[in-house]
Amino acid sequence: MMLEPGIEEKTFYLNLGPQHPSTHGVLRILLEMDGEFIANSEPVIGYGHRAHEKMAELRTYQQYLPNLGRVDYLHALAYNHGYCLAVERLAGIEVPERAEFIRVITSELNRIASHLLWFGAYLLDLGAFTPFLYCFDDRENVVDILDRVTGSRLTYCYFRFGGVRDDIDDEFIAGCRAFITRLRSRWQDYDDLVTKNVIFINRTRDVGIITPEQALKYGVTGPCLRGSGIPYDIRRSEPYSVYPLFDFEIPIGERGDIMDRYVVRLCEMEQSLRIIEQALDKLPNGPIMAEKVPKRLKPAEGEVYAAVESGRGEFGTYIVSKGDTKPYRIKLRVPSFSNLSIISELIKDTLVADMVAILGSFDLVIPEVDR
Amino acid sequence: MIVALIGVIALVSVNALFLIWMERKVAAHIQLRPGPMEVGYHGALQTVADALKLMGKELITPDEVDRPVYLLAPIIIFLPVLVLFLVIPFSPNLIIRDLNVGILLIFAFSSLTVLSILMAGWSSNNKYSVFGAIRSIAQNIAYEIPLLITAMSIILMVGSFKLTDIVAAQDKVWFVVIQPLAFLLYIICATAETNRAPFDIPEAESELVAGFHTEYSGMRFGLFFLAEYTNMFVVSAVATVLFLGGWRGWILPPVVWFLIKVYAIIFLIMWFRWTFPRLRFDQLITFAWKVLIPLAFVNLLVTALAIKLF
Amino acid sequence: MLAEQIRNSLEKLELEKVAAGDYGRTGYHVEVAAKPEQITAIAQVMLEHQCFLESLTALDLIESFEVVYHFACFRELCRTVVHVPLIKGKTAPTISSVYPAADWFEREVFDLFGIVFAGHPNLKRLILPEDADFHPLLKDFVASS
Repeated sequence: MMLEPGIEEKTFYLNLGPQHPSTHGVLRILLEMDGEFIANSEPVIGYGHRAHEKMAELRTYQQYLPNLGRVDYLHALAYNHGYCLAVERLAGIEVPERAEFIRVITSELNRIASHLLWFGAYLLDLGAFTPFLYCFDDRENVVDILDRVTGSRLTYCYFRFGGVRDDIDDEFIAGCRAFITRLRSRWQDYDDLVTKNVIFINRTRDVGIITPEQALKYGVTGPCLRGSGIPYDIRRSEPYSVYPLFDFEIPIGERGDIMDRYVVRLCEMEQSLRIIEQALDKLPNGPIMAEKVPKRLKPAEGEVYAAVESGRGEFGTYIVSKGDTKPYRIKLRVPSFSNLSIISELIKDTLVADMVAILGSFDLVIPEVDR
Repeated sequence: MIVALIGVIALVSVNALFLIWMERKVAAHIQLRPGPMEVGYHGALQTVADALKLMGKELITPDEVDRPVYLLAPIIIFLPVLVLFLVIPFSPNLIIRDLNVGILLIFAFSSLTVLSILMAGWSSNNKYSVFGAIRSIAQNIAYEIPLLITAMSIILMVGSFKLTDIVAAQDKVWFVVIQPLAFLLYIICATAETNRAPFDIPEAESELVAGFHTEYSGMRFGLFFLAEYTNMFVVSAVATVLFLGGWRGWILPPVVWFLIKVYAIIFLIMWFRWTFPRLRFDQLITFAWKVLIPLAFVNLLVTALAIKLF
Repeated sequence: MLAEQIRNSLEKLELEKVAAGDYGRTGYHVEVAAKPEQITAIAQVMLEHQCFLESLTALDLIESFEVVYHFACFRELCRTVVHVPLIKGKTAPTISSVYPAADWFEREVFDLFGIVFAGHPNLKRLILPEDADFHPLLKDFVASS
């Protein structure tokens, strides 16, 4: 039924996106507005759909590797890791220890880059422009370090089944150590500029609260979940690679509001620095590729599910093999998809400005949601 | 009079060009980057090039707009700004009309900006524009009251609405020393009046795309832009007159002192913008009604009492 | 242990298969096979054990479909997989009333496979445009490249 303009009509529709400065990609949210308050909302996704799961069925296992860096371009190495982990489990490939160390170091560097970008872009959502450039200044260091060893700056495709493509050298290690010192010296600046800012606190405290019950029902993972006080981090809960060798904490929040998610991400960067530091100290010598990884990988019939912790939450790879060189089916369980599905519930009866703040606090990567 | 008008228009344009360049430079240096460097010395002619580009752009009028109102809005925002320059005392001699209600004229005409913003937002027939316009009106009404009340405490002390009298009354000590709270309130309200961050709610780009001027392009957008920077100059000039002793200074000619003080205040406002995140709309209004207005009244009351007693 | 508790609770539902999984090989602790009409009861049990819906997807096995549910838990490492074979053309019941997360997952599966979930409150295409007339993850859908 079409609504005729009249006295009874109290709400109107506001179309946010798919081209909007604060949706960080081609996300569209249809808002039913009651004044400046949101009465109802419906996210519309799929504008960036590239059929990654269909592509998997048309390619061999190796050929599919470059796709992973393009699903979540901000934490591409975690996606590399997750997929390699699943295939290695399926095909029974053992990865040498040095390769696992390199995987952890590069993946954590990438996590820091991802969180730094979120930090800057989120402050931009709240109207503060300057932290964005400070973060990019720092992030540039990570990108340069990773560029040296992986050969690319964003959509990394560095991990291989059974190891990594290239070994790291002394210059890489020196670069990492310099970066650790540099970033540690910046925490105080970020705290003074942002965390203690009264406007920032007022915008984020007690806004967009996710309760642990909601998180459970919607399958929210990552910093959004840890902000609600549940210490669920795949690196600790379902240890993979060499993470059990390192001493690091899982930061959690108390109230589950935006501020908690923000603090969790900031603390996580420090924990990632700790992991990198320890990994550099303990870095063993040895090969970086497993011996005898067949060129034409043909895993036996069966299925496997492997999960890793990406910057946004749990990334799971579900592979079904029918004993062919091509996977029969690959399902990518992406964190942003589940995290975004809670948004309608969270933004009900909030202001547009709060909606922007909540949406930004999820650290969404829309191409990942759409796949 | 015609000479004066041409002079004002020239001043407005040059000032806006300079301020835009200054804004970009200030922002850049706060953000650890050089900013515009290519056109002219340290990019000094960058904004001239930008202005020429803006003038050469096609003026797009969307189909659904309310044409007469839509076309009138950018002109209406610009005209009152010109009038304001009539009464600003740049130096003892450099003032076009020394009206005895100068300060009232400034407040009256600067409130007209909000009319233009409403016209622009409403006639654009775009929900984001309407949001921007409505927010802008609520904000301007809320912040005009404390602005006027703080100015009133100065006027009480001077006993005149004439801007030259206000400057003359500060021959011993600047009013910023006697009235620090009023100065603080004035700067906060002035930032809000000019819709500058952290009070840039009407054009909050992450929420409302570009707020009331979303549908404007080319030089029509340019006029809104020009008006924003000119308004910034005017509120800073008024702050200089009310609190910083106007043209008073040593050695340098009075007009130079006046401009130094004005640009110092503008620098402060720019500094705010590149440091703070944006307030939420309801927080902004609450802040005005529950904090600024009571404080302004208390300040006025104390001033009145002090004048009565001493 | 949680895996044992889940197995005990699920065995009461008389499912086709409830078995311990080989975690090192497949990543599962509990493997379950069930009929479509049993899935709502399974979801209820999983929620009682504080598990969250990790993923929900489907397989096109040419002659039939298989809907695959993954559950995991925040407190303890325990992943449960539920395989639900489905004859083509038949519907599966929705679990979106138990897990709101399933709302989008089921829409996605409907979108990409054409599987209808009976009782879903808002079953329309999620990723593809609403007027698309194909289901790309079916094996007989030929990608143009």
